[in-house]
Amino acid sequence: MSAPDNNQADNIIEARGLTKRFHGFAAVSEVDLDVRRHAIHALIGPNGAGKTTFFNLITKVLQPTEGTIRFNGRDITAESPAAVARRGIVRSFQISAIFPRMTVAENVRIALQRPVGTSFHFWRPESSLDTLNGRVDELLDAVGLLSLRDQTAAGLPYGRKRALELATTLALEPELLLLDEPTSGLGGEDVDRIADLIRKVSANRTILMVEHNLSVVSKLANTITVLARGKVLAEGTYAQISTDQRVIEAYIGGEE
Amino acid sequence: MMTLLGISPQLLFGQLLIGLINGVFYAMMSLGVAIIFGMLRIGNFVHGAQYMLGAFGAWYLLHLPDLFPGLGLPSLGYWWALALVPFAVGLIGAGMERLFIRRVYDLEHAYGLLLTVGLAMVIEGLFNVGYGAAGQQYNIPDSLKGGVNLGFMFMPYYRLWVIVAGIAVCIATWYTIERTKLGAYLRAATENPDLVRAFGINVPRMLMLTYAFGVGLAGLAGVMAAPIYQVSPQMGQSIIITIFAVVVIGGMGSISGAIFTGLMLGMIEGLTKVFWPQASTTVIFVIMAIVLVFRPAGLFGKETVAAHAADMSTARPDSILENGKLWLVILGVGGAILPFLVYPVFGMKMLCLALFACAYNLIFGYVGLLAFGHAAFYGSSAYIAAYTAASWGFPTEIAILSGVAVATVIGALFGWLAIRRQGLYFAMITLALAQVVYFYAIQAPWTHGEDGIQSVPRGYLLGVIDLSDNMNMYYFVLAIFLIGFAAIYRIVRSPFGQVLKSIRENEPRAISLGYSTERFKLLAFTLSAMLAGLAGGTKAIVFQIASLADVYFMTSTDALLMTLIGGVGTLLGPVVGAVIVVTMQKEFATLGSWVIVVQGTAFVLCVLFLRKGVVGTLEDWLAARAERRRIAAGGEPAAIARGAH
Ligand SMILES: Nc1ncnc2c1ncn2[C@@H]1O[C@H](COP(=O)(O)OP(=O)(O)OP(=O)(O)O)[C@@H](O)[C@H]1O
Ligand SMILES: [Mg+2]
Repeated sequence: MSAPDNNQADNIIEARGLTKRFHGFAAVSEVDLDVRRHAIHALIGPNGAGKTTFFNLITKVLQPTEGTIRFNGRDITAESPAAVARRGIVRSFQISAIFPRMTVAENVRIALQRPVGTSFHFWRPESSLDTLNGRVDELLDAVGLLSLRDQTAAGLPYGRKRALELATTLALEPELLLLDEPTSGLGGEDVDRIADLIRKVSANRTILMVEHNLSVVSKLANTITVLARGKVLAEGTYAQISTDQRVIEAYIGGEE
Repeated sequence: MMTLLGISPQLLFGQLLIGLINGVFYAMMSLGVAIIFGMLRIGNFVHGAQYMLGAFGAWYLLHLPDLFPGLGLPSLGYWWALALVPFAVGLIGAGMERLFIRRVYDLEHAYGLLLTVGLAMVIEGLFNVGYGAAGQQYNIPDSLKGGVNLGFMFMPYYRLWVIVAGIAVCIATWYTIERTKLGAYLRAATENPDLVRAFGINVPRMLMLTYAFGVGLAGLAGVMAAPIYQVSPQMGQSIIITIFAVVVIGGMGSISGAIFTGLMLGMIEGLTKVFWPQASTTVIFVIMAIVLVFRPAGLFGKETVAAHAADMSTARPDSILENGKLWLVILGVGGAILPFLVYPVFGMKMLCLALFACAYNLIFGYVGLLAFGHAAFYGSSAYIAAYTAASWGFPTEIAILSGVAVATVIGALFGWLAIRRQGLYFAMITLALAQVVYFYAIQAPWTHGEDGIQSVPRGYLLGVIDLSDNMNMYYFVLAIFLIGFAAIYRIVRSPFGQVLKSIRENEPRAISLGYSTERFKLLAFTLSAMLAGLAGGTKAIVFQIASLADVYFMTSTDALLMTLIGGVGTLLGPVVGAVIVVTMQKEFATLGSWVIVVQGTAFVLCVLFLRKGVVGTLEDWLAARAERRRIAAGGEPAAIARGAH
């Protein structure tokens, strides 16, 4: 697909033996996972499989009980969530994460503002951020929100909120984009729009996404990892995965 | 070895015993606070007052014949009190839960704390009206008089009894919660009320009983304390802040941890009295600071959960009430006219407190952190400004700036410590840290203890304008206020302010965008401390005095009350709140001790009925009116209203 084929394995993320226990219960258990640069890599699995927890480990929201995470070959296991984000790993959340009482434009601007380097400047007027407006509008245009730029984000319909979240995430030009169920809770038309958007932004970056909608996964992903009960069950292309007996069992057993 | 240090075993063991007794009370109290906090998510500030009720209950029972002469009631002694009073206090607790506390379970945690602060003020205020500051004597029961000589020390029976009984109560409580089915239900109810409800258990009643039980423990501690300490209205006020520190040190989620920490800290306090008496009042708070640095979750606490900031702001950014440039002009003009309408000194008091409240609102309203120790910044700046002006002859403006500098440094230090924890913990930590400053001010020679630093010269502004003239002084204070007000407006509407806003609205998201949110919060906290210092330093010059009242926690409470009444997180709220509170204090000044009852009542009423404050309520009304007009003019009802929330 969009990824230029690279012969030597060029991994942006290498997780080794990654484990997270909550009071003894292993939500993620000894997971080894490589994400190839410029891939769209999907993480699927039944509810409670540990997908969100895995995201939380990669983005350092949770500290792993065991294991290491490498990003571009560098060990980031001990870094803070904000530092990891500054390295270029930016995520979206399973339940839409916006700044509800800020306007649509401000939601995107807050992301653009950080690289400017004036975020601690409490003596500057807000208008010093006006130079970012052009870029804000470009991003909003890309997700179809330009006409709503001065609305308060809280008032947007759910699908628009997800689009806004994506625009905010993209504003940081992340090298690795982690999307946690970007189409969940969306109607058919919105699903297609978000899927198109993901494909569009996948050029020159890597995407790791959790997704329950298998038709979206089949359309977008070039590699799929199946997680069940915290462990990697299978990995491969959509064709390989969809015929894997263990995967079918895990889904049937897991969904009840 | 003891003799090498010049300390007799009698003194050492005597103090250790006192320490252990204190520790037993700390353990019983922090147990109750921890249970209520753990199960109900309420920071029960009124716990100290409930402890005091226990002690007074015992005293009342003893004096029944004097209190109700002619009814032929018997005088009920200690053992009766021990049996009856904890239930009575628990019952009062149940009533308070039903009437007040229940109403804030679903609100931001801050409201629970504010509500219990108000209730504590009302209860302690009422007893203060009745009994004043003097303590009542309560004798040790006859059966426990005397003692036993252990060879190295004399052990009074009553103290032995308190230690044994107190520890037994703690262990029984621990056993009930950790090892019985009832305890399992309790713990389950706090984690998943719906599930427990499905088992057919009445959750509201269970929460009420839990609260009543924690309060009953405080009542029991009060009865046991009556023969040891004086029975006075103030007895709970000083202990509650220490208890909060104990809970922070012990950490959440461990009942045995709370017990152990209480006992241990009591003993450490006792030892400190032997080796370094001056430090004994602050040692617990200092230990708290050290624990926070090395084990932010507390000694026995589980992993800290990433709580989110309290978003209690009621402002609408595009409202006319938030237009800082407009209001700067209005306040400037209004302020210029004010001294012709009221006494300039009264006007200056309003301005100082309004600036103080605005500074507080910066951290509470705009960042969502429930700071509870701003008296430390206000008061330390007042002391420094007063001292440098009076003793070192600093020019007025330099004296105030010195105060501001010190407040800023203390603010940065306290902020650095407190920012590690959020929500209620943040409140408890800032409260406890502020207490260190208070005790320092009591003891340090240069602050002159109870007297404070008096007769501070107002001096000359820039060496020419005579500030002993009230009008000159007033306009100087007005200028300072306007500068502070403008500074806060600028901070809130700066690139930095944008990040603060994003943190308040959705901190995990702000982190995921790469913001190290703690640094932003720390800077905001420091700026807030700095501006609070500006208010405090100015106040010291205006009133020519810096005193213990400035660093006392009631001053922190004032800041909170002003902000809450006016409207949290609004531009004008703190100013409106300051005007209301200062006027109220003046009008009720003739009531003497009742003032505190009135203020406490205002707190409770605000939390229950006026959470948006005056400005927030006005804001809603304006928005509703604008909406009605728009529809009347043929507009569509707004599906996507700006400022909807
Ligand atoms: N903070 C936590 N404390 C305790 N257990 C947790 C915590 N977070 C997640 N878990 C548990 O870990 C398991 C994995 O949860 P996770 O949210 O990662 O699943 P998921 O694969 O994202 O599921 P879904 O498809 O429903 O989003 C679940 O059983 C969950 O209850
Ligand atoms: Mg999930």
